[in-house]
Amino acid sequence: MGFIMDGLDAEAYDRTYSDRRLIQRIIGYFRLKLTTIVTIVVLVVLNSVLDTAFPLLISHSIDTLVASKLLQTAIWLIVLILLAAVFSWTCNMFRQWFTAQAVGDVVLQLRKDAFSAVMDRDMSFFDEFSSGKIVSRVTSDTDNFATVVTLAVNLLSQFLLFFLVTAVLFFRNWQLASIACTIVPAIVAVALGFRYFARRATTNAQRSLARVNANVQEVVSGITVAKNFRQEQNMYNEFKRVNEQSYHVNVRSGFLYNGVFPVLVLIANIGTTLVVYFGGLSVFNHVISAGDWFLFVQGIAMLWFPVTGIASFWSQFQLGLSASERIFALLDAEARIHQSDQQPVGQLTGKIEFKQLFFSYDDRQTVLPDFNLTINAGETVALVGHTGAGKSSLAKLVARFYEFQGGALLIDGRDIRSFDLHDYHRHLGIVPQVPFLFSGTIAENIRYARPDATMAEVEQVARRIGYGDWLEALPEGLETMVGEAGKALSMGQRQLVALARVLLQNPSIIILDEATASVDPLTEAQIQEGLDTILKNRTAILIAHRLSTIKHANRIIVLSRGRIVEEGSHEALMNLGGHYAHLYNTYFRHQSPDYRPGEGFVPVHITLEEVKEF
Amino acid sequence: MLAKSEFTVTGAHHYNQSSPTRWIISHMLRYKYLAFGFMVLSISANTLYSLVSVFTGKAFNTVLLGDAGRNQLVSITLMIAVVVLLYGGADLGARTLSQLLGKRVARDARDELYINLLGKSQTFHNRQRVGDIMARAANDMTQISDMIVPGFDIIFDSFTSLVVIILFIGLLNAQLLAAPLFFAVTFIIALRSYSRQLNPVSDQMRKQFGITNAILNEAVTGIEVVKATAQEEQEKRKFIDNASLYRDYFVKNGQIQGRYLPTLLLGIALAFAFLHGLYLLSHQQISLGTLVTYMGLMVNLRFVSFISIWSFSLVQLGVAGAERVLTLMREETELDENEQGHREAMQGDIVFEHVTFSYGTTPVLKDVSFHARAGQTIAIVGQTGAGKSTLTKLVNRIYDVNEGRVLIDGVDTRDWSLDALRSQISTIEQDIFLFSRPIAENIAYGLGQKADRAAIEIAAKDAQAHDFIMGFKDGYETVVGERGVTLSGGQRQRIAIARALLTDPRILILDDSTSAIDSATEDEIQKAIKRVLQGRTTLLITHRLSQIRWADKVLVIRKGELIDQGTHEELMERCETYCRIFSHYESSVPTPAVGGGE
Repeated sequence: MGFIMDGLDAEAYDRTYSDRRLIQRIIGYFRLKLTTIVTIVVLVVLNSVLDTAFPLLISHSIDTLVASKLLQTAIWLIVLILLAAVFSWTCNMFRQWFTAQAVGDVVLQLRKDAFSAVMDRDMSFFDEFSSGKIVSRVTSDTDNFATVVTLAVNLLSQFLLFFLVTAVLFFRNWQLASIACTIVPAIVAVALGFRYFARRATTNAQRSLARVNANVQEVVSGITVAKNFRQEQNMYNEFKRVNEQSYHVNVRSGFLYNGVFPVLVLIANIGTTLVVYFGGLSVFNHVISAGDWFLFVQGIAMLWFPVTGIASFWSQFQLGLSASERIFALLDAEARIHQSDQQPVGQLTGKIEFKQLFFSYDDRQTVLPDFNLTINAGETVALVGHTGAGKSSLAKLVARFYEFQGGALLIDGRDIRSFDLHDYHRHLGIVPQVPFLFSGTIAENIRYARPDATMAEVEQVARRIGYGDWLEALPEGLETMVGEAGKALSMGQRQLVALARVLLQNPSIIILDEATASVDPLTEAQIQEGLDTILKNRTAILIAHRLSTIKHANRIIVLSRGRIVEEGSHEALMNLGGHYAHLYNTYFRHQSPDYRPGEGFVPVHITLEEVKEF
Repeated sequence: MLAKSEFTVTGAHHYNQSSPTRWIISHMLRYKYLAFGFMVLSISANTLYSLVSVFTGKAFNTVLLGDAGRNQLVSITLMIAVVVLLYGGADLGARTLSQLLGKRVARDARDELYINLLGKSQTFHNRQRVGDIMARAANDMTQISDMIVPGFDIIFDSFTSLVVIILFIGLLNAQLLAAPLFFAVTFIIALRSYSRQLNPVSDQMRKQFGITNAILNEAVTGIEVVKATAQEEQEKRKFIDNASLYRDYFVKNGQIQGRYLPTLLLGIALAFAFLHGLYLLSHQQISLGTLVTYMGLMVNLRFVSFISIWSFSLVQLGVAGAERVLTLMREETELDENEQGHREAMQGDIVFEHVTFSYGTTPVLKDVSFHARAGQTIAIVGQTGAGKSTLTKLVNRIYDVNEGRVLIDGVDTRDWSLDALRSQISTIEQDIFLFSRPIAENIAYGLGQKADRAAIEIAAKDAQAHDFIMGFKDGYETVVGERGVTLSGGQRQRIAIARALLTDPRILILDDSTSAIDSATEDEIQKAIKRVLQGRTTLLITHRLSQIRWADKVLVIRKGELIDQGTHEELMERCETYCRIFSHYESSVPTPAVGGGE
């Protein structure tokens, strides 16, 4: 239905690149396809010329016939018409084919580049941008980028057609051509006006549609509750109101869209009427021939459609530019992590030293002002503290996901910045807070870190987690499909798979960010048994939320505002009655099997001010 | 067909549900005048549009008469102007009517579906996933509406214009029909073969796009794992392979689109039409004006030739959507209401006797027997998928047992009146649904208009909800959800408990899997749960060890079998599986100061 409808619901975007730079880079992408592009342009020109030839040839034949009444003289014109039709179609066929090829290749190249760029970004990038935004840059923005080109090609063909037709008309008779062209501003005005109103209406309609859909969702989800309490009639009345509302919103937004084309056609028809009348007069006055007159009548019909495309081009073009800007911003983003060297890591024992480490996510907020800690090889350390105390920051620094600004971080006495990061990550196992699984089988997920591992190895590793009896709850054992993002498995099962994955990877250092979601007690027991297995003979940093997990630790580090306030074993810290005891009362007390509501507090000896400071 | 509907609306329209097409037609026929009006207007619009060409031809004839025709030109031009305006009106009218029709059918179909859903039993709703029903109510309805506008609208309009143009040409001169008929026949053949070529490729292209997107999505959401295991290269390879496949389909798609034959056919038809016209003209069988009209009409065929294949697939999609909606509506509930059944005030004594149950052929529960005395709290322990929630669903007859029986107060659940049974059993689910209404209405929901404010507040206080409710600016009038405040899992749970306290059931099924982050909130939730358990038989599915520990009886379920039952102490003595649960907790608190505080 034409470009007039496209891109009405796109959102605005702040621009930082200049149009010129963007276009230069876009052209850069198409430079490799230069011959194809040139061919496409040639085909477009040919196509437009051939399309214009049709009414010209017909008008010429009419004149010949009116003059000579001889069929023979017109025959060669008809052969030309036929050839023009066939050539025009052939040109169009190749044009579409080549365009698909050029656009397909460029989009593929862009997607490759964008995806590689995404994979190579630091973790900070993924914390800053939602995954939805990143995904849409790689998919829809690359698509929109390609539409800039398709649009440009289309604009070229429409502009050519418009230009050729008008030129021919003006060449024939400028007075009549001027009359015919009076409809152009009207068409442009309607097209632009439509886009202006449709854009506003779309935003409004989308907002009210979203609201209505939310209402529909609620009345549908509420059925169960309504039935539970026998409230069907009330629910139905509510639904009827919402449904009626939805109908009105839909009808209103539909009118504008369905109305614009009839109006445009009406304007074009008024143009035809004018041309019929004034053309007829000119024929009477022998200013033009009957054939010319026919040409004008046909010309009007060819004139108006390109005009709508030209009128809506600019805003479309801007959308395409914004899309390409977002992609280039992705490609150009600078890495924040800088390695000073690419030394191979070799075997690690897993000793970790933080030395006067200074770290902040941005300039405003310092997370670790001056952090000192040594974790011995093979030691299991649990980090506890309130949200924002710096627990996950420590883990992220050891994982080298973030760059620190001062001090040093040593692994086995070597600067973490001197490592080959890829190699280092192979020696590092991470169990994230939300265990992520890739769609595929459980075995494939366990094998993820070591794709070359044999089935026997996978099975052996799976059996070592929680005595392997979690496997019997799976319908197909290790071959069970985990579904999209592991959704076919329960949260607890996903955690067990994540543990098995790390066990197979066999890293020297483990970072475990414990899930907060609760898990049924049996699976929880299996997870705890799994932890017993994987923590043996490794250095581990636990960010613990569960009492049972904390008990795995040789040493508990209590953090507050980026500093260590207490450290020691669970028993010792409980008896101390300090910050840890306070944390216990706040977060862990209810996890004890002996818990009863409002009971089970341990004595705390620090003052209320100290607690508040903490 | 729906003999046992639990809810009907008086004066509701009845539609023909025997097949998807008939169903849609019966919906459209409800607005006969709209549908009829649309067709009339669409035919008129096409006729008027062809008339423009006819009058243009007349104008040519007039002008070629010489000066004698000068006056006639004015009247012909006026005629054209009138026709053009009428055409604009008819066109606009047709689009408006078809739009109204499409949207009304969607509205009515949704209404029909909703009434039907309300009429279905609770059993049905407990089994159905809300997401599926939402998909029917939203996506499928949109598809039905899209099928009418633009799908059906475009198809009808295009083919009307084809027929009208051919009729007009026939009226001009029957001999002239050769070229348009040639076009019409070849056009339909070409269109069919085109759609047969294109559809599989564009399907594959769409599918491949989905796959590529899924890989991308996975790599981005799972980036922490990808990076931590240094598997970036593996992901890049996967993505590039799939993106390249997509590119191949894209090019193939473009190639097929480029080979769209109807435009070529039209070009050839036009050339032959002109040749034919000129031939007749030179033999004085038609006038120049007729030739002009004829060529004008032929050129108008280009609207038909550009008809989008997409409108046909819209119709297909619409029928498929209608079929899914119909299947949902036709689905029947197997459980009978048993209105003449046992009706008594319930005590709450539950007995399972050798209960076996399977979904289809998948066995879920095997030979389960236990006894819950009135007022007891029974904790059910087992892995996800072991059959815990299925067990509770046999109590209020969401499902019926295959073997054995479930007795409540000594009476088989199948002999109870379903209404009497269910009205005395309440369920608090894991996901608690609240309406976007004031909190007070949500608590009082079960009683309709009957509950007074005082009773609501007492229930809220008992459920430990009063304090946080009063913490909101509007107190009990605070609207929750979408347009109001968002409540945490623990807060929702307490509102559900208040709701249950108001309705006061004898048996309570409580699926309590929400986890509180801090102990203070947990204190509140546990107090509320303790209160709601008082004086009721409760089947409790929980992740909280302390609740299991303090229950009157614990059932340990493994793969559908009840492997042991008893009190905490008994099970700690003899059940290995049960001991495992507590093994990581022993002596967790060295010196608990019982009853202490800060």
